[in-house]
Amino acid sequence: MMNNEKHIASAFDRDLEAVQAMIMKMGGLVEDALLESSRALEERDVELAQRVRSADSAIDALEMQVNTEAARLIAIRAPTASDLRTVLTVMKIASGLERCGDHAKNLAKRTLVLSDMAPVGASAGSIRRLAKSVQLMLKDALDAYIRRDVAMAQEVRQRDQEIDQMYNALFREFLTHMMEDPRSISACMHLHFIAKNIERVGDHATGIAEQVIYLVTGDVPDEARPKLDTVSLPGAEG
Amino acid sequence: MNDMRLLERAVDTQVNKITARKVQVYYGQNHALKDVDVDILDKTVTAFIGPSGCGKSTFLRCLNRMNDTIAVCRVEGRIDLEGEDIYDPRVDPVQLRAKVGMVFQKPNPFPKSIYDNVAYGPKIHGLARKKADLDEIVESSLRKAALWNEVKDRLDAPGTGLSGGQQQRLCIARAIATSPEVLLMDEPCSALDPIATAQVEELIDELRSQFSVVIVTHSMQQAARVSQRTAFFHLGSLVEYGETGQIFTNPKDPRTESYITGRIG
Ligand SMILES: Nc1ncnc2c1ncn2[C@@H]1O[C@H](COP(=O)(O)OP(=O)(O)OP(=O)(O)O)[C@@H](O)[C@H]1O
Ligand SMILES: [Mg+2]
Repeated sequence: MMNNEKHIASAFDRDLEAVQAMIMKMGGLVEDALLESSRALEERDVELAQRVRSADSAIDALEMQVNTEAARLIAIRAPTASDLRTVLTVMKIASGLERCGDHAKNLAKRTLVLSDMAPVGASAGSIRRLAKSVQLMLKDALDAYIRRDVAMAQEVRQRDQEIDQMYNALFREFLTHMMEDPRSISACMHLHFIAKNIERVGDHATGIAEQVIYLVTGDVPDEARPKLDTVSLPGAEG
Repeated sequence: MNDMRLLERAVDTQVNKITARKVQVYYGQNHALKDVDVDILDKTVTAFIGPSGCGKSTFLRCLNRMNDTIAVCRVEGRIDLEGEDIYDPRVDPVQLRAKVGMVFQKPNPFPKSIYDNVAYGPKIHGLARKKADLDEIVESSLRKAALWNEVKDRLDAPGTGLSGGQQQRLCIARAIATSPEVLLMDEPCSALDPIATAQVEELIDELRSQFSVVIVTHSMQQAARVSQRTAFFHLGSLVEYGETGQIFTNPKDPRTESYITGRIG
């Protein structure tokens, strides 16, 4: 049960809007970090990767701010019903986004290491496409949040499957490279961790979509979202 | 966590103490309560919440026939206490009120000693034959009301000389001295400071092991803290009634949501 009416205490509305604006800002920073770090990877842009690394502290700071503000709201306003769920979901989303920031930062760190190694086929391009898909998923999850749009959140949840598929395809690609050219193993390991980082961001986007459903309906989505089989090894198949 | 919650609810039975069906109340032309159906559980604290004038006090007064004393008031429908119709002509309202006690918003001790305030009910209902029995009822009631230690040395002092919070606990002691089965409380903490409020709330929680308690409160936090069931009234109707945790985290009716979250509804 959501409620779009204004509170009698208008300061309460302002506080709730402010804390939601903070997670939107966090979301924007995380999306940027993801796009920029994957661009740095493909374009082998060390400077850009460094910038993404140092930008992560702004995301961490925002998470702290969200938590402080949420604690203040709970203490002062004693929120109930949809107000309570707003405060709870804001905290969960902020912590998810903070983790996403860490994953992007990791991507940037490995980009720095990879810049000294030979490129592995077209895999940097594939990773960038994965990052783009995940960024869109995150953006839609956050849009669904701000619009209280359950249908959109459900749709985002379903997309996690595509991300898993892309990740699995990348994994096979890396395995093939490693088997064909053992000198690429080190680079492929880094690339694989990067792909895993991005796939984890997709999981967090799914988590945000689930928070939207909880926020609006008061219920946590029950039916487990379809998860693809864990990666099976070529050769171990069939 | 789950275990703690279960423990806390161990006394939360599903036994109905009071059953109200299609209750209507009119004050002259004013249809103040419309079609109220509710089951009040035994050994449970039930909170009545809702905007001013929605009929909370009116409904509370129906439960021990206090409305009988209001000339323009007419009550229809059926209210059973343990299966017995309390509006049956054979029911003596004075006896009923000993079973269904009431504590009011403003502490209203009699202009008598602390002792007599508590002893009055048991005396008129003949609950004590000897002075020693009466002494015991007075002491145990004051203990249950968490007031004994503060007044045991001045039981002969006037009840009106106590602080507001102490007076309210005295009124609670008076209400429980007749061993009621149901205790009705109409905004019992509105005149109390946070400490006295906490003491009364603690007391309510203890009383729950023996009585069914119904409390009217304007404090959402108090309702959330002290009750296991919450009923939301609006414009004379019972809009939503349910488990307190559910009402405060996920109410089903938009009017309930608007009210508890402090919106203009
Ligand atoms: N003694 C009375 N005589 C006539 N009308 C009354 C009387 N008591 C209450 N009413 C009317 O009945 C309606 C419900 O009043 P009631 O006192 O039950 O509301 P309430 O929910 O307890 O409000 P509050 O939160 O302000 O105590 C109101 O319209 C009120 O004017
Ligand atoms: Mg009232």
